[in-house]
Amino acid sequence: MADISVFIEVDDGVLNDISLQCLGAARALADGGVVRCLAAGAGASGIAADLFARGADEVKVFDDSRAAAYTTKPYAKAVIAWLNEAPPAVALFGATTIGNDLAPSVAARLKTPCVLSADGVEAADGGYVARRVEFDRKVQTAYAPEKEGLFIVSLHDGAAETPAADASRTGEAVPLSVELDDSDFAARVLKRDVAKKTVNLKDAKIIVAAGAGVGNAEGLAVVQQLADALGAEVGATRAVVDAGWLAADHQIGQTGATVRPDLYIACGISGAVQHRVGMLDARKIIAINTDANAPIFKVAHYQVVGDLKVVIPKLIKVLAA
Amino acid sequence: MSVDTMVIVREVWDTRDLVGQVLDDTGNIKADAVGTRFEPEDLNALEMALRLKDAQGGKVTAISAGEPRGVDVLREALYRGVDAVVRVNADPLALDDQALAEAYAGAIRELGSQGLILIGTTVLDGENSLLGAHLAAALDAEQVSWVDELEEATPERAVARRAIEMGTETVEVPLPAVLSVGVALLEDDPRSPRSAKAMLKLKMKKVDIPAHEAPAIEAVTKTAGRAAVPERVIETRAVDAESEAELKSMLDEARKGD
Repeated sequence: MADISVFIEVDDGVLNDISLQCLGAARALADGGVVRCLAAGAGASGIAADLFARGADEVKVFDDSRAAAYTTKPYAKAVIAWLNEAPPAVALFGATTIGNDLAPSVAARLKTPCVLSADGVEAADGGYVARRVEFDRKVQTAYAPEKEGLFIVSLHDGAAETPAADASRTGEAVPLSVELDDSDFAARVLKRDVAKKTVNLKDAKIIVAAGAGVGNAEGLAVVQQLADALGAEVGATRAVVDAGWLAADHQIGQTGATVRPDLYIACGISGAVQHRVGMLDARKIIAINTDANAPIFKVAHYQVVGDLKVVIPKLIKVLAA
Repeated sequence: MSVDTMVIVREVWDTRDLVGQVLDDTGNIKADAVGTRFEPEDLNALEMALRLKDAQGGKVTAISAGEPRGVDVLREALYRGVDAVVRVNADPLALDDQALAEAYAGAIRELGSQGLILIGTTVLDGENSLLGAHLAAALDAEQVSWVDELEEATPERAVARRAIEMGTETVEVPLPAVLSVGVALLEDDPRSPRSAKAMLKLKMKKVDIPAHEAPAIEAVTKTAGRAAVPERVIETRAVDAESEAELKSMLDEARKGD
């Protein structure tokens, strides 16, 4: 039995799904202990009821108008104040661009151990270990604190199940008490350019994904046609999003979504590790690429070496037949 | 207005396209099975610093921790055009990231940097990406992670664009600040690698690399064990792109399930 604390990311009143998975992992890890959440971000108080329903015992809220957009210092200060109120055995963060920036910043200031993007954390030998698959998915490394005390771990997307809501579980959220002064807000977010979510990649059964190999908008249109023919969603690599061919909500991989569809068709995707981590668990993978040596072929069940602008129209043709 | 930049450069395991077992019988990484390379995002950070220097001047210093013979990344940095290099006398494999960050921070303090400190944000699949955040904390400096582009740098402040889920953010920070650089910058490497002969010449060239002594710092995290992950065995099949019949049976099979 142990107390576990979970940092919950809230963006404009929307609860981050990975944070919820962390809450599920915390509930299991606590084994009867207290699970505390800090809901942080604009509109954080609005999601407290959901946190109680999904397993939180205590909820603190950090919703400072000056910290509506994430910057490291004020968030690190808030989290440290929260952790010091009731020191847990383990503090969990989602391995997002916020969580993986914040967790090590907090750990360094508290001089406490930290592991990022872990696959899981569990009790072992009276302490805890966090595990992570590394070295091109060939090695699983277990990390443990040198000494007793707080262990900070960020969990990657899919490391735990999202806990179901139980409406009979309720509670009262309390604002976090932390003193922040102007010097904490020296870093400022000047501009935020975030795509509206128009696709639901996580629940898609089939995803047709475009990589840099589509070459231009015309190539992308071909990919789109295949998706339409299959009733699939369109995904993309970072390169396609950076080129402006698709909005960022289509992105799969390290700074995008992690997906597990039944079928993933990679079109013109070379398969850099930053992309592979987001799609490797698809049940079936078809890869279409002109380069027979592209790394994507090593994870694909079906290897089609060829130009997608030639291959895809054929696929559409046989689908219609 | 020129800004001085410090770049952390690391030699790391090369985890691309590994073949066969990478662990020895005692559960340690087999050095001959893995090999090392210049941390690719550190290379991005270095390129970012050199582009800033090309555009508006300023001094670029590359810093790396390692044994005297183990800092080829510093020679590479010199070749690419940095003004100075400093070796931190510490074994990066023997320290955890917090201890390593303290060692780097000590060198940066001694050099008196009040400008930009650049480092790569490492990828998920190989190493921990803790060092940038730990370094910022050790220096009590501002930090921005997953930086793709430096939009502006003056002696007082920097404006950086960073990648976030579903988009980008433009962040302004006062200096000194630690920017962790992501993967986006280098699509192609303009100061690209040279022939093996040129590399060897670079390695043999006598360069006086000043050393910074790092204090002994206790680690807080340890590696509790490594285990081989069972190979992800998939049945792969080459499908003839010319054959409509083969393409059709592929689609039917892939959509049907197992």
